[in-house]
Amino acid sequence: MIKQISTIALATAAFIALTGCSGEKKATEVKTYKYSTTEVYEKSCSKCHGMNGEGNPLKKTPALNDRTAGEMAQDLYDIKNGGTNQSSGTDHDIMEHNMQKLVDKGYDYDINSMAEYMSKLSKK
Amino acid sequence: MKKNEILEEILNEVDKHPEIMSRREALKYLSVSPMAASILAGATVGATTASASSAKGKIVIVGGGLAGMSTAARLNNTLSDADITVIEPDPLSVSYQPGQTLVGAGIWDVSDIQYKRDDYLPSGVKLIKGSVTAFDPENNSVTVDGSKEISYDHMVIATGLMLNYGAIKGLEGVITSSGKDNASVKQKVGKNGVHSIYFAEGATATWKGIEELVAKAKAHKGPKKLQAVFTHPNTPIKCGGAPKKIMYLTNARLEEAGVRDKVELTFYPNGGKMFGVPEYHEAILQQYKDRGFKWHYAHNLVEIDTDSKVATFNHHWKEKGEWDEDLEEYGIELKSELVEVPYDFIHITPPMKAPEVVANSAIGSSKGWVPVTKETLRHVKFDNVWCLGDVAAVPMGKTGGSARKQYAVLVDNMVASMEGKSLPSKYAGYTVCPLITSIGTVMLAEFNWTKKPTPSFPLDPTKERWIWWLLKVYALKPMTIHGMLSGRA
Repeated sequence: MIKQISTIALATAAFIALTGCSGEKKATEVKTYKYSTTEVYEKSCSKCHGMNGEGNPLKKTPALNDRTAGEMAQDLYDIKNGGTNQSSGTDHDIMEHNMQKLVDKGYDYDINSMAEYMSKLSKK
Repeated sequence: MKKNEILEEILNEVDKHPEIMSRREALKYLSVSPMAASILAGATVGATTASASSAKGKIVIVGGGLAGMSTAARLNNTLSDADITVIEPDPLSVSYQPGQTLVGAGIWDVSDIQYKRDDYLPSGVKLIKGSVTAFDPENNSVTVDGSKEISYDHMVIATGLMLNYGAIKGLEGVITSSGKDNASVKQKVGKNGVHSIYFAEGATATWKGIEELVAKAKAHKGPKKLQAVFTHPNTPIKCGGAPKKIMYLTNARLEEAGVRDKVELTFYPNGGKMFGVPEYHEAILQQYKDRGFKWHYAHNLVEIDTDSKVATFNHHWKEKGEWDEDLEEYGIELKSELVEVPYDFIHITPPMKAPEVVANSAIGSSKGWVPVTKETLRHVKFDNVWCLGDVAAVPMGKTGGSARKQYAVLVDNMVASMEGKSLPSKYAGYTVCPLITSIGTVMLAEFNWTKKPTPSFPLDPTKERWIWWLLKVYALKPMTIHGMLSGRA
């Protein structure tokens, strides 16, 4: 009887997963950050990329205020994860290294929130 | 399609290779396995059809491959008053690309993966047999074949991507997987030990190449091993697992012929890991060790000399740089050198990019891919433009498995938007990589943007299993061709 129930449960779970009719599983973890998005930008990012995200040619740091939030989110995702494909690597070798150091220092942030913030920099 | 028809199709496929699995064994697995039952259910039941909508508007879908045609079918099922036009030049656009690995390893024939665009055009959907040559999203129109202007209220971009063989010095051509205009690539690829399963004809040639390698290994004398090299480029690629799958399958064919000890198999990826998900990375590393594979990270193929049979890689690494007072850490410097690698057999995974017409227009981006909000699949700049499949700038998402999740999300959101409602659906980055690890076993690597395994089944997802071979080789094609292209599953 137990075996039968578990088989039905398994079949149901598999069916739902494969057909996708239950939608995506909800992420249960809620991450908390030491600093707010604004604080991270002003305390850390701005040192190299400028208060308005204008970049700094002397440090060879790129501007951040030339992209939409959606585009910036892609770049931040790539940087924080060391690439977005299995074995392709990243386009942001230097920033991947720096970001890891900054996250270790507590300057971690939510990607969508930071991308939104950066996209509004030039309009301030 | 009825359940017993799909079952019959699966069993017919099984019959072709009794040495791998007999019909009796397959029937046994299918009848006792709740997973197999669910696969059949998933392919036959229209459980995911969105609710009907009377929203109006002219919809243009640019690209009629798996992503575009499935989206057309689902919109057609959903909208009671649908006005949909698909623009697609390739008569074989809906061919089953995931099967190219199996063609390359001699398990399937190319005829097993060829499907015709015109057979899968949903009834009532208009087709323009041409290519979009310009996008004008400010004025809601596109140009077809340089002359014909088509206007739209809503547009879906599903052009797919380009295989950029020409970016490797010594090779030429920028092609699609099933397009006929691949003569430039075939000058050098598909012969003399240079192979690539990423285009359908190249996959057929790869099987010949593996047979040649086996024959060469049988005749090989002396302590020096033959060199089989497998590459992975520095761009996002479709089916991130394929560069490894063809390596596993080459290994299987060499073992089967009893000549595995005559050949060294080495993987040269541009990146520094086997997989973005740590659990799968570790599992693949172990599989590589178990099979005696070698690998060298941070090597990107930049040149090939097909006469002297030497591949040149850009090997890159990081070194400690100067103290950075803003970072309060030492920075890093990037270093690189060119490394020449002689080969007897090389499988090339080409760099990939968005089509020029997309990259150079307002709908593209600096990297070419179409920028969308990755959860909703709506364009970041144009509210009436949507994008999915290989051309979308979505992390990890260039597989048929992710397109299968994306097209349902996109249609839900697009229809809601046409009705003036807020967007109800979110894509969470689901991708599936049925990693073929030998003839008869597959590791079903399912994951999403959380970078954690997200298995559909309560089984350890890092294990190689025959049941996933059954899924990959016999069930996914009917699910895709009959379920997805009809917009139902």
